[in-house]
Amino acid sequence: MEESPSWEAWDSSGGWPAPRGARGGPSLSSILNGLPSAATLRYRGPGVLPWGALEEEEDGGSSTQTLIEAAQKELQEPHSSRELPWPMQARRAHRQRHARDQVAYGSGSRAARWAQLLQRSKEKTKEGLRTLQPWGWTLKKIGGQFGAGTESYFSLLRFLLLLNVLASVLTACMMLLPTWLEGAPPGPPGLGSSEPCGSYNPYQQGLVPFPTQLFNLFSGEGYLEWSPLFYGFYPARPRLAVTYLCSVFAGGLISLLLILRRSVSGLKQTLLAESGALTSYSHRVFSAWDFGLCGDVHVRLRQRIILYELQVELEEATVRRQAAVRTLGQHVRVWLVRVLVNLLVVALLGAAFYGIYWATGYTVELQGTSLVQQTPLLQLVVNYLPSIFISGVNFVLPPVFTLIAPLEGYTRSRQIVFILLRTVFLRLASLVVLLFSLWNQITCGGDAEAEECQTCGYNYEELPCWETRVGQEMYKLLLFDLLTSLAVMLLIQFPRKLLCGLCPGALGRLAGTQEFQVPDEVLGLIYSQTVVWVGSFFCPLLPLLNTAKFLLLFYLKKLTLFSICSPASRTFRASTVNFFFPLVLLLGLAVSAVPVLYSIFLIPPSKPCGPFRGQPSIWAQIPESISSLPQTTQNFLFFLGTQAFAVPLLLISSILMAYTVALANSYGRLVSELKRQIETEAQNKVFLAQRAVALSSTNGAL
Amino acid sequence: MGGSGSRLSKELLAEYQDLTFLTKQEILLQFAFLCPHSPPCWHQSTDPPWRWHCDLLPQVCGPHPANPFKERICRVFSTSPTRDSLSFEDFLDLLSVFSDTATPDIKSHYAFRIFDFDDDGTLNREDLSRLVNCLTGEGEDTRLSVSEMKQLVDNILEESDIDRDGTINLSEFQHVISRSPDFASSFKIVL
Repeated sequence: MEESPSWEAWDSSGGWPAPRGARGGPSLSSILNGLPSAATLRYRGPGVLPWGALEEEEDGGSSTQTLIEAAQKELQEPHSSRELPWPMQARRAHRQRHARDQVAYGSGSRAARWAQLLQRSKEKTKEGLRTLQPWGWTLKKIGGQFGAGTESYFSLLRFLLLLNVLASVLTACMMLLPTWLEGAPPGPPGLGSSEPCGSYNPYQQGLVPFPTQLFNLFSGEGYLEWSPLFYGFYPARPRLAVTYLCSVFAGGLISLLLILRRSVSGLKQTLLAESGALTSYSHRVFSAWDFGLCGDVHVRLRQRIILYELQVELEEATVRRQAAVRTLGQHVRVWLVRVLVNLLVVALLGAAFYGIYWATGYTVELQGTSLVQQTPLLQLVVNYLPSIFISGVNFVLPPVFTLIAPLEGYTRSRQIVFILLRTVFLRLASLVVLLFSLWNQITCGGDAEAEECQTCGYNYEELPCWETRVGQEMYKLLLFDLLTSLAVMLLIQFPRKLLCGLCPGALGRLAGTQEFQVPDEVLGLIYSQTVVWVGSFFCPLLPLLNTAKFLLLFYLKKLTLFSICSPASRTFRASTVNFFFPLVLLLGLAVSAVPVLYSIFLIPPSKPCGPFRGQPSIWAQIPESISSLPQTTQNFLFFLGTQAFAVPLLLISSILMAYTVALANSYGRLVSELKRQIETEAQNKVFLAQRAVALSSTNGAL
Repeated sequence: MGGSGSRLSKELLAEYQDLTFLTKQEILLQFAFLCPHSPPCWHQSTDPPWRWHCDLLPQVCGPHPANPFKERICRVFSTSPTRDSLSFEDFLDLLSVFSDTATPDIKSHYAFRIFDFDDDGTLNREDLSRLVNCLTGEGEDTRLSVSEMKQLVDNILEESDIDRDGTINLSEFQHVISRSPDFASSFKIVL
């Protein structure tokens, strides 16, 4: 920080010098305190002592007069009374004067009065909407006790609940209602059908023992397979086919719009914060203290956290400075270690994905063995093998990532970003691998000429109704996710709290303090929502099940939080949660769109089941229905799909984007220019004030 | 006013709703909490108005004196000449500024006031050091070392002091705070 030489006269702290030298004439500080900007700053309204009033006794009436004049000038713009930083009685006086002025001005203020009424009704509706949101009080309490990061998790859970409720309502209106409007849907075609691809019997033969029926509930087979839960049940009626497709697209569009709306506010704040490195210290110090903290324990804990974080931040600065002066040899060593660590991570991920792929393929083989077919419990376990593998991988690998991250020699904040990215990739990619192996089974590896796929276009022997099979997999993933959450809570967290409360001393405290791990939990939520998005085409009632699951999860997590967890030792900033995680949610939506769109456009639908049986592809229904619309609508819709529409749209979007980027750049340059001007003006002001002091003291001496 | 049931009149309640960011329920809750018995504790026409000494106030979350900013908050919001007691309206002011719906402008204004320990209208090095000490705890083992403190204050001034005069004034403070996405959620008291 450069200081101009004329300021050497000030004391080393760099602030205003101590007030009031015992000479004739005003001192530098009293001149600077009398400036209009300082005066309006200290004004607190009529009849109230201004800020710092106790030191102003010497100047007396003249300074208060200037204060009042300066403040009146600033009040020319209409402020609502409550936004003035004055005490209550001053605001009251201001409001009364304002009301009197308005009455005095009569008709001219009618527009102002309408504007005021509009403003007030807008505020009332906003407040009304806010009270409509459920669990508002619970979220506030959680935020007060456990921090804003934890509150954001529950806020995200509430938002996803809303998404699922909307999706269920959409499903009910556009899929269930049309199904029963035109008469009850028929049963499965059974085994005796004459067509080559047409025989399909989901029901099991003969007398089914009770355990098998119970396990069928968990695996989606048996009586559940031909039920509104899965795709295969819906009859082949053209209008139902159109509404089925449209509901899927509408659901996706609504989710996209709502997520974008939610992430834009977080994005605005984070983009506004420029790059975090520029103001990280100021933010850490000024926004560090949570004024809602109550209780000795929490306050001391928060103080310890702040101390720790500040020390870590200062240390990181030294580390960065050291890193900048690394020799070539050290650089090479560090990068070698980083390459090795990344190779290790890739190897671990590859092994995990291969395991999932193998498990999905092996399931079919295992189901063929006689041992499995005789024991229904083993059948269930084999059915759940892919889910077990995915959950296991998601449980084991993230702690491994956390362990090896410090080896890379990055600063702590960057380490966390890397760990998060790797975990996100793991979660989403394991789902993708599962879907890939399913696709492999369905389409015989994409080879339409392979032996099993030749007659029907898909692997008819193993998967007579492949959409239902995909739906079943997603259903199993959902159930297993819920079971794991329950199991972790009941078998790990509660016992740990109970047992380690009895352990003596430091060991008990160390093992017993559990924290609510915000990033892990949020990624789990996003993963389940992605599963539901993929599955809602193949299993229409999945959003409804997910609503129930999230509702249960909300209360379970709340119970866990309040009875087991202590406030987090690392404050996970709410801003990160509000910006990063909606992006990951969007990524999940994009990832889930790919298999659904692929199935709609490229894989032939099953012949014995579903609303699209007999069509060459699922999408083929739409052009057929369009051709029944009037000619102009048809032309318009076909035009939307041509290149003559897409290319100009792309060009215009690129031009708009380039313009916005250029505008942002010019604003950035303007801001730095203005900052330089402010610096110069401050130097001018101090120079003039010093000259004034010098002149008045020589005048006084004469 | 006097012994018969202390209740806020409708006009006064509406006025408070108009002048603060609090909702009707919140005002009534505070009123019931602070003025349950007969004294006309809300009536400002009594001269001097009824005040609570800062140490006696439950500091909105129970009688815990651990909040390091308690004294500063009291001093900032007090309208008494000795700046050490709050009236009911001062208390409503406090809650209004710390509520959910207050504008970021007014929050940053009052935050500046609270952090300005010597009340001179700017945050100089001394103010910043005292602020950091409040944040980390006053004990010997919870302070930053002298060199760490100097480095931290240097960094803060480097980032926030636009006109390079060695202090942070209100506009610079508000400029920095406006880019901090966590400020609004941390400058909040939930009842």
